[in-house]
Amino acid sequence: MTTTAPGLKAPSGSRPPKPGPRWAVWIGIAVAALISVYCLVAIEFTLEPLVTNLTNGQVVIEQFLNPNWEFVWRVRDQWLVTLEIAIIASLVGCAIALLLALMASKVTAPTALYRVMKIVLAIQRSLPDLAWVLMFAAIVGTGPLAGILALIMFNIGVAAKLTAESIDAVDPGPVEAAQAVGATGMQRARVAVVPQVMPSFVSYSFYVFELNIRASLVIGIGGGGGIGEVIRVQLASFNFENISAIVVALVVVVFILDQLSRTIRRRLI
Amino acid sequence: MPPVRSPRTSARSDRRRSMITFRDVHVTYPTGTKGLDGVSLEIPDGEFVVVVGLSGAGKSTLVRTINGLVPVTAGELEVNGRRVDGASRRELRRLRAEVGMIFQSFNLVTRVSVLNNVLMGRLPHTSTLATLVGAYGGANKDIAFDALDRVGIMEKAYTRASQLSGGQQQRVAIARVLAQQAGVVLADEPVASLDPPTANAVMSDLRRVQRELGITTVVNLHFLDLARSFADRIIGMREGKVVFDGTAEQADDRVFEEIYGRSLRAGDVAAAAVSIEGQQGEPAAEA
Repeated sequence: MTTTAPGLKAPSGSRPPKPGPRWAVWIGIAVAALISVYCLVAIEFTLEPLVTNLTNGQVVIEQFLNPNWEFVWRVRDQWLVTLEIAIIASLVGCAIALLLALMASKVTAPTALYRVMKIVLAIQRSLPDLAWVLMFAAIVGTGPLAGILALIMFNIGVAAKLTAESIDAVDPGPVEAAQAVGATGMQRARVAVVPQVMPSFVSYSFYVFELNIRASLVIGIGGGGGIGEVIRVQLASFNFENISAIVVALVVVVFILDQLSRTIRRRLI
Repeated sequence: MPPVRSPRTSARSDRRRSMITFRDVHVTYPTGTKGLDGVSLEIPDGEFVVVVGLSGAGKSTLVRTINGLVPVTAGELEVNGRRVDGASRRELRRLRAEVGMIFQSFNLVTRVSVLNNVLMGRLPHTSTLATLVGAYGGANKDIAFDALDRVGIMEKAYTRASQLSGGQQQRVAIARVLAQQAGVVLADEPVASLDPPTANAVMSDLRRVQRELGITTVVNLHFLDLARSFADRIIGMREGKVVFDGTAEQADDRVFEEIYGRSLRAGDVAAAAVSIEGQQGEPAAEA
């Protein structure tokens, strides 16, 4: 068997020298392993409770394995509340996010403004959804309003960041054209930038809606109303057969809405 | 080579109002690159000027200083009676409303209709609130339709710009400029992205509306044959300086050799309109 094709130069036989071992990678792996071991020791990690408590929790597990399906339908109003919270929070949150995103991109905002807005959004995003619920539940009391306000804040954080990044990446040509006709900054944003980011923005809004449905559990447990609230109450009264039914239903609902929203998103781009 | 001043153009500039006046204009980019190096020019009202030169010679800079997209670092520049150097942002917006611009890559918003793209030319005459809700008003729409009619693509008004061919897109860009009702039109390599027959057709359109409306036009071109067949006046640039200024007839092969700094090859002037920079081994330093 010959490796030389006709017309090609004969092989000279001198291979390039093999690069040396990548020490950085090995050191990185070693450091990661050391940190993991240290952490396990520090929190006194043990699998013991898994074995010893398994028998103690037998009653709970039995209840969980016999879900009370009828209960899912009995709390239908709370399901609707969850959906309503998600829809309102997505609409309001994303509308505000679009405005903030326009202020947080160097394409549509003066340098000073966009730098400040980037920092403001980063701080705003660093607060998790549960923290927002607890905060708003303390301010306006528990219930759907606290949930809506919390999710709006959460949605602004997600949608504004993603949209601002899309705005950074728009084709600068139309923006330059708008500048060359003497348009003001706001006109440039509306005419040359918003049409370009609209498909991504609508797609992010659907994504945010998906996140909101999924967050409904945490929102309810934190005092924001909806189906999460039901779980909290049932948990407090040890009705595990009701909880397991709700959890299974929640998985199904989230999955269906997820697929629905994903289909719509795919059509947009 | 000292700038050759055509007697014809001089006579014309005496007769007509000067639309664009460069007085010893220098442009230095923040990177230290010299864009323009002491350019003095007078372009009278209604003239069709073609600027030629290698990539990086300052053609693009010359055109972009006229509407303030590139700031002048020294010298004086007056366009349509307005000072461009040292103008405030508001003054620059007023100036730009009167100066249309056509780009190599068309710069249309491809996701919206042709009509909306043309209406962009009416933004200086539309309030911010009306822009936000997209209500341009009947008068502006009449102007936009008239502009589309002039470039012969009125039937495409409600088509998405992305569905048009390159030549059609550049016609929309011309219509956008016409909708501005501008006295000056700048075109930065308007046909460099188009095939030769389409390039010729778009240049013909540009020339026709320029004659019909008497618009002062400054065009950057790479194609020598297009420059010769369409220009009233040709300006040759090299290293930020004007090295030739004369009529299309005066711009013979010898002159082009001077501008490009080397002898012409068959490909440079062939009917296939081969771009000069494509033949050149030097790296393009165009900003």
